[in-house]
Amino acid sequence: MSGTMNLLIGLAMGLSLLALASSRLPSVIRAAAFQGMILGTLPLLLEEKFHWLVVAVAIGTITVKGFIIPNLLRRALRAANIDREVEPLIGFVPSLLLGAAAIIAAAALGSALPLLPEHAKTLLVPGSFATVVCGFILLMARTKAISQVCGYLILENGIYLFGLLLINSTPLLVEAGILLDLTVAVFVIGIIVDRIQREFDTLDTRKLTSLRE
Amino acid sequence: MTTGWLLLMAGMGLAAGILSAFKSPRVWLVVTLCGAVAAFSAAVCMLASGVVWDWQPGFVIGGEALHLQLDGISAFFLVLLSVLGGAGTLYSSEYWSDKAHPDSAPSGRAWWNALLLNMGFVLLCANGLHFLIAWEIFTVCAYFLITRERQRPEARAAGWLYLAASHVAMIFLFAFFALLAARTGSWELGPMRERTELAPLFWLALVGFGIKAGIFPLHIWLPSAHANAPSHVSAIMSGMAIKMGIYGIVRFTGWLPTPDSAGWVVATLGVISAVLGVAFALGQHDLKRLLAYHSVENIGIILIGLGFAMIAASHGNAAWGQLALAGALLHVWNHGLFKALLFLGAGSVLHATGTREMSRLGGLWRAMPWTASLFALGATAIAGLPPLNGFVSEWLVYLGLFDAVSAHGHAAFAAILAAVALGITGALALACFVKVCGVVFLGLPRSRVAEHVHECGWRMRLPMLVLGAACVAIGLAPILFWPAIAAAATAWQPALANANALPTVPLVTLGAFHLALVALVILAAVFLWRRVQHNGVSRAGTWDCGYAAPTPRMQYTAGSFSGIITGWFDWILRPQRHAHLPRAMFPAHADFEEHTSETVLEKVVEPAGSFVMRISAAARRLQHGRVQSYILYLVLGLVALAILAVMGGSK
Repeated sequence: MSGTMNLLIGLAMGLSLLALASSRLPSVIRAAAFQGMILGTLPLLLEEKFHWLVVAVAIGTITVKGFIIPNLLRRALRAANIDREVEPLIGFVPSLLLGAAAIIAAAALGSALPLLPEHAKTLLVPGSFATVVCGFILLMARTKAISQVCGYLILENGIYLFGLLLINSTPLLVEAGILLDLTVAVFVIGIIVDRIQREFDTLDTRKLTSLRE
Repeated sequence: MTTGWLLLMAGMGLAAGILSAFKSPRVWLVVTLCGAVAAFSAAVCMLASGVVWDWQPGFVIGGEALHLQLDGISAFFLVLLSVLGGAGTLYSSEYWSDKAHPDSAPSGRAWWNALLLNMGFVLLCANGLHFLIAWEIFTVCAYFLITRERQRPEARAAGWLYLAASHVAMIFLFAFFALLAARTGSWELGPMRERTELAPLFWLALVGFGIKAGIFPLHIWLPSAHANAPSHVSAIMSGMAIKMGIYGIVRFTGWLPTPDSAGWVVATLGVISAVLGVAFALGQHDLKRLLAYHSVENIGIILIGLGFAMIAASHGNAAWGQLALAGALLHVWNHGLFKALLFLGAGSVLHATGTREMSRLGGLWRAMPWTASLFALGATAIAGLPPLNGFVSEWLVYLGLFDAVSAHGHAAFAAILAAVALGITGALALACFVKVCGVVFLGLPRSRVAEHVHECGWRMRLPMLVLGAACVAIGLAPILFWPAIAAAATAWQPALANANALPTVPLVTLGAFHLALVALVILAAVFLWRRVQHNGVSRAGTWDCGYAAPTPRMQYTAGSFSGIITGWFDWILRPQRHAHLPRAMFPAHADFEEHTSETVLEKVVEPAGSFVMRISAAARRLQHGRVQSYILYLVLGLVALAILAVMGGSK
């Protein structure tokens, strides 16, 4: 059981690195979506016995993260009529290296933390740290609003992964609430992206500095 | 309970004045004067009967029950407030009339009444929270009064400086009252001398009240605010508002315990303020700015007396301390009276000529005999010459210092130094007022503005007459005012009441001496007058060193008169001189300009301010609007927190 789970989490970490290394915005969105779908299946693996609530959570997560949010983002992309991150603040190779360093550091941190024995065997904790840090790197390194939304999604995936540690004690309502928040946030960002595009004729968030006061 | 009713009448009079200020100046004048008279009567009632008026009606304001109290110290200051308030009210009805200032006069009347009302509340409040509220309102009212002429940039700048300094003071007072309330568990104020752990709070009070009082290094706001305010406002600011700072120090050194070094610090600040205040005054060319620096000087004299009283109180209530205290308290009244008189006189000059520049005035006594003679009276009083009130209070301080010397106590050496400094201050003040009276009122007009002047009307003259009469009365019959001083002194230190050590004899002697002096002067004047009538007067030109065509501009100027003395203080006055001296046989162009800097403001406060601004500008670069960097800040903050948590966990 934990072998399959570790495989999936490793895949998710690889997708984070893919998002960091890719300059084309559609592939960044795709990486974030796949990561969301992979992580959505994890609850099914974690629970020993079948429970319809867990299935509902998994299906909901996969639907929202794998289809609804990516579609919203693709629509914003079409409206803004761009598909490349041209001038990142941190280049693609350096961000990839940073991401790799983050994974190593997360593994080191995970082995240093005093975890429960059933969690110590899995990659849950290192994977969640690595995904959060990769999300942060994406947020900091990119200038286009869409890439930052993807960074935000990956960041949220990391938090979700960490939340799986507590899946037995987290009510369904909280999970549903988080998903709803995420959807609304992406929805709002999609609108904002459209507005930024119309107002400044670019999606470069550096142009927003005149709004600071 | 007559005191209570009178105070109620006073409050209602002033409040009615605020309401009528916009519609009817006459009603305003009458009700405000009635309020002042009622407040005066209440204070005199309390001082005469010695009964403390204490009122706790059970109203709750801001979560605290209202508690008003009129004891000896409050009543002592309330007398001064009501006299100066009444005088200023009558004066302003002509000086700042609706006709001359249609925009600023009505609201000015309302702010004026609000100022008086809140200063009165500060004096009565026995609750820390209400004290702070009333203090803040009175500070803000004074700001609006100082900036009556806000079309002038320098009036706006003076107002800002005043507001900034006042709020620095306010921060210290907030800290003081909040810590006091935290340590005593209640905002109620009252005597708590036995709680020695409260003593360090004195330093907060000293800075907070000291900024308001204009103690020397904290006086930065005072000259420009006093110079740019309308003259009746300058009079109440200098006569009463800065005394509120003294009131605070007197009040809380009386109620709370003080650190052992407090008396020494206060006396040292007093000496510094007295000597440097008068030195800066000598360097001024602006009539009202000069008077403002004399306020710093006189605050210094008050603090010398108060400081030695505190030294004596912390070492077993020596008799000399009580003399010094009496001198300090009486000087509060005296300085209020003669400084208000001088500011009102300066206001008359400003009203008649439109300028405060002394080098453009001259020869005003012919056209303005009332103003000139009343100003000269005030000048004699402030210079501390007998037989006027300034001498009485300074003499009491001197007596205290001399007795301290002859008591051979630990304070003897310091008392010698303080007495010498007080002597230097008196001499320099005399020189300064010889300069002012000589340059402004004697000689010939130095410019056209000084030629066509008019005497002020009776509504400006009467307040000056009243203040002058009060100065003369305290000078000639100081013993009549002794009970008031004794009441305030016993409220400050109840131990003085049963000690009964307050000496009264010197004042009777002094009064008799002053009366004899006045009689002699009158006799001499009558004798001279008769000689003049008998022999007749012949006029001749002043000896002009053989120069054929003298002009009025060749008279001594204010700067040249005081040049030697200000030269001694160049190290602190830092005068800026711009001179093009006449050269060659037939000099074409020459000029000379001298300007005394605001040393503390320009050399200390402004560099410190620009340093803080540079640091803040550098810190502001962190706020640049780039979302990516903000996220980096967040990550760094989280990492720092995590490290902190891990380090803390490992312990």
